Amino acid sequence: MQLDYLATVLLSSLSSASILLIATLGLAVVYGLMGVINLAHGEFLMVGAYSALTATQIGLPYPLAIPFAVAMTMLIGAIVELLIIQRLYGRIFDTMLATWGLGMVFNQGAVLLFGTVSPGIGMPQWNFSIGAYSLAVYPIAMIFVAIVMLTFIYVLMTKTVYGMKARASIQEPQMAQAIGIDSTRVNTMTFAIGCGLAGFAGAILLPIIPATPSMGLFFAVKGFLAVVVAGPVALTGTAATALGLGGGASITASYMSSVFGDVFFFLATALLLWLYPMGISSRWRRKL
Amino acid sequence: MFKVTGATGGYGKTTIIRDVSINVEAGEIVALLGRNGVGKSTFMRFATGLIKAEAGTVEIGGEIAPPAPAKRARLGLGYVPQGRFVFPRMTVTENIAVAAAANGFDPKATVAEMLEDFPLLQPKAGDLAGGLSGGQQQVLALARALAIRPKILLLDEPTEGVQPSIIDEMAGVLKRINQDHKIAILVAEQNLDFCLSIAERAYVMEKGAIRMETDRDSLRADKALQQELLGV
Repeated sequence: MQLDYLATVLLSSLSSASILLIATLGLAVVYGLMGVINLAHGEFLMVGAYSALTATQIGLPYPLAIPFAVAMTMLIGAIVELLIIQRLYGRIFDTMLATWGLGMVFNQGAVLLFGTVSPGIGMPQWNFSIGAYSLAVYPIAMIFVAIVMLTFIYVLMTKTVYGMKARASIQEPQMAQAIGIDSTRVNTMTFAIGCGLAGFAGAILLPIIPATPSMGLFFAVKGFLAVVVAGPVALTGTAATALGLGGGASITASYMSSVFGDVFFFLATALLLWLYPMGISSRWRRKL
Repeated sequence: MFKVTGATGGYGKTTIIRDVSINVEAGEIVALLGRNGVGKSTFMRFATGLIKAEAGTVEIGGEIAPPAPAKRARLGLGYVPQGRFVFPRMTVTENIAVAAAANGFDPKATVAEMLEDFPLLQPKAGDLAGGLSGGQQQVLALARALAIRPKILLLDEPTEGVQPSIIDEMAGVLKRINQDHKIAILVAEQNLDFCLSIAERAYVMEKGAIRMETDRDSLRADKALQQELLGV
């Protein structure tokens, strides 16, 4: 086997894993810091993609369309938390049902507003080559984006007062209140941030994954599994599972076929959950 | 200063405490005595607002306390629960810092002050709280409660699961806190010696109600009551 082929496969697998991680981090934040499984996460990603697309269509340059998408999804997220999620804390199945329903509403809303097919915005046509193989720069750049995103969330959650309050609120909700943390406001903020991260993912991935009303489903399933396998240390755990499961699936796919890639993903997930029912990070001594 | 009047409440539809009234003056240390299951912890949780009041009011520093626990903390109510409940995946420093910051105090200065007051925590400052021993967690929970600069400190069974040498130390620490910072303390305990060593006055609870109020000297003299409280 040639070295250049191996390097190409490794890089593009790392890129696929990073894309999965980018799409999943918002889910990990909401699950890890609030204990809420947001089944509408994929639809928030879709809302972010359409927000960015609409912004570019009305003339905003793409780099500015991304913060616009983040602001939109954070706003919608905050409203959803205030109206629905806030009433359902501690009722995990009820929140799953409510967010699932919400996802359907968003999905159909997008069909009504934008139709089922929409124009992509085209990937920047930069390429580079390794030996005999040529690779597009943009998907590979997602590795870097994933690292920046991870660092941003880690710093936000460990170095800021808001982050400390958010972690205190999920670890011991009653004690957090008893020492003066207004957990209602902290939760609204955390949910909005989780949705904003989904919006960011939808916007930054728009050149790779065009906006369609049902685009969220693909990421929702794999992202959800990655977060559940990760367990209580949500951030580090999800980085590990997205890299392991997503990267592994991608490598399998490039040597066999994409069907085998998915088979690998789901078999590995089942195996890991059988070995670690509470998630792989249940015994980790880490903050996040 | 800290006054609870007619406290009635419990969990769900079960009322556990009925018409409990307690008063702690500024700078006073008062004990809440009674055997297991008489409602001491429920009363503490009632005072913090963590369980819903069926009836009764809580007054902190002359103000009627609003129902939300976070607002009561900001009025100056510090709470060390039974079982400590430190934030396990946060460091010792963060446990203290978050409490200070949530009440508008400088987190860094507060952490420095607490580490100086509780040298036991110094070597552990960067460790996750979940990995500390029971006694260390108890000290951390106390430091966290003090970080909000309370007027009144509620301690629920602080000696439970703590080794005797640390219990003696704790009595000294509580007296010092009380004298240096003029913080009033209400301590729920089953350890009678510990209470007699720090509290001047005591309430005795029985079946969810206050049975009597007594002071240290009468309690020392009343062997029959002591026997009963110790459950021998």
